[in-house]
Amino acid sequence: MDFIDYYKVLGVDKKASIDEIKKAYRKLARKHHPDLNPNDEEAEKRFKRVNEANEVLSDPEKRKKYDEYGKDWQHAEEFEKAKRSRSQQGRQGDYSGYTYSRSGGSAQDFSDFFESMFGGGGAGFGSRGQRVRFRGQDYNAELQLSLMDVYSTQKQTLTVNGKNIRLTIPAGIEDGQTIKIKGHGGPGVEGGPSGDLYITFSIINNTAFKRDGANLYKTVEIPLVKAVLGGEIQVDTLTGKVKLKVAPGTENGTKVKLKGKGFPKYKKEGQFGDLYLTYTVKMPKNLTPEQKSLFESLEKTNLT
Amino acid sequence: MKEEHYISIKTFCERHGVRESFVYSMYEYEILQVEYDEDDGKLHVEDLPLLEKMVRLHNELNINPEGIQAVHHLLSQVESLQQEVTSLKKKLDTLE
Repeated sequence: MDFIDYYKVLGVDKKASIDEIKKAYRKLARKHHPDLNPNDEEAEKRFKRVNEANEVLSDPEKRKKYDEYGKDWQHAEEFEKAKRSRSQQGRQGDYSGYTYSRSGGSAQDFSDFFESMFGGGGAGFGSRGQRVRFRGQDYNAELQLSLMDVYSTQKQTLTVNGKNIRLTIPAGIEDGQTIKIKGHGGPGVEGGPSGDLYITFSIINNTAFKRDGANLYKTVEIPLVKAVLGGEIQVDTLTGKVKLKVAPGTENGTKVKLKGKGFPKYKKEGQFGDLYLTYTVKMPKNLTPEQKSLFESLEKTNLT
Repeated sequence: MKEEHYISIKTFCERHGVRESFVYSMYEYEILQVEYDEDDGKLHVEDLPLLEKMVRLHNELNINPEGIQAVHHLLSQVESLQQEVTSLKKKLDTLE
């Protein structure tokens, strides 16, 4: 757990007045506010830090304590007392307080340093006695699956905040796709509706195929002689091997489409994308004397 | 639509400490829909996350309703561009 220089966070002098602190805070809050920086986790982290710095420096009591003990906070008896008192009280329900539009309520709004020094709680950003709380908090979760996992529809049970949620994951879900599970977020306050649970899927592709939606792409090497004379090759698809005819005179970079051999289309049962193969003609290396001689014979025929 | 899917504007404003005129201005700027039950305005719960975001921008950053309309418009564009970038990155990945 590292010491946090709250003055540095807000970019103000240690002798800064309350007005200067407020001004610096407002300026940084406008820049890093999560609602103004959608899908930017870094901005959210910076915002929380700015929020925390303001929480301490704009409160004369907290600021005094922070200034007094500063870097020696770990050894201060007072902090230990505060910590003990906090653990006895337990965390109050709205500890994290502030809910971002798509942010999880489980994310801590204050650092370990802050908690050790001042205990849990804290009013949260822009409190002024009024906090946005009526509808329950939205929760975010990430689920990592392999590409083959999402080739078929599957059922999983997730445990989110102690509750088991049965989830049907449709085949063909995309990497980075987020689904909303309505009403499975935090409970509403004073009759407000519950928040929602957002699950973002991280699909790990450890196959030889590249994926774009329901279409798959793969590069296949074919021997030079087969490219020139034509023939048959065997190619791996996601579900097994297929035999393909290679036309005589196939050029490097030729593309072939295998209809319906791609990935399942999301929420379109029984429909599949296509598999696109790109042929790479493999140049023979380490020729035997006989093979070299045959190529030399070819050369004499003025083959171009 | 079931009644439980709506929240009265009055209740929402009491909980959030905002004036009803703020919510109606969001309606005027076409940021959200307002339904009427006789004379009482009500909000669909699906619109609550968006409205709560607007309340935060208003309360926490002192942005007035006109500013919120502009922010809303620009954020929609940002989100649309982010989706486009993600989609193009995936396409680029298949070409590499």
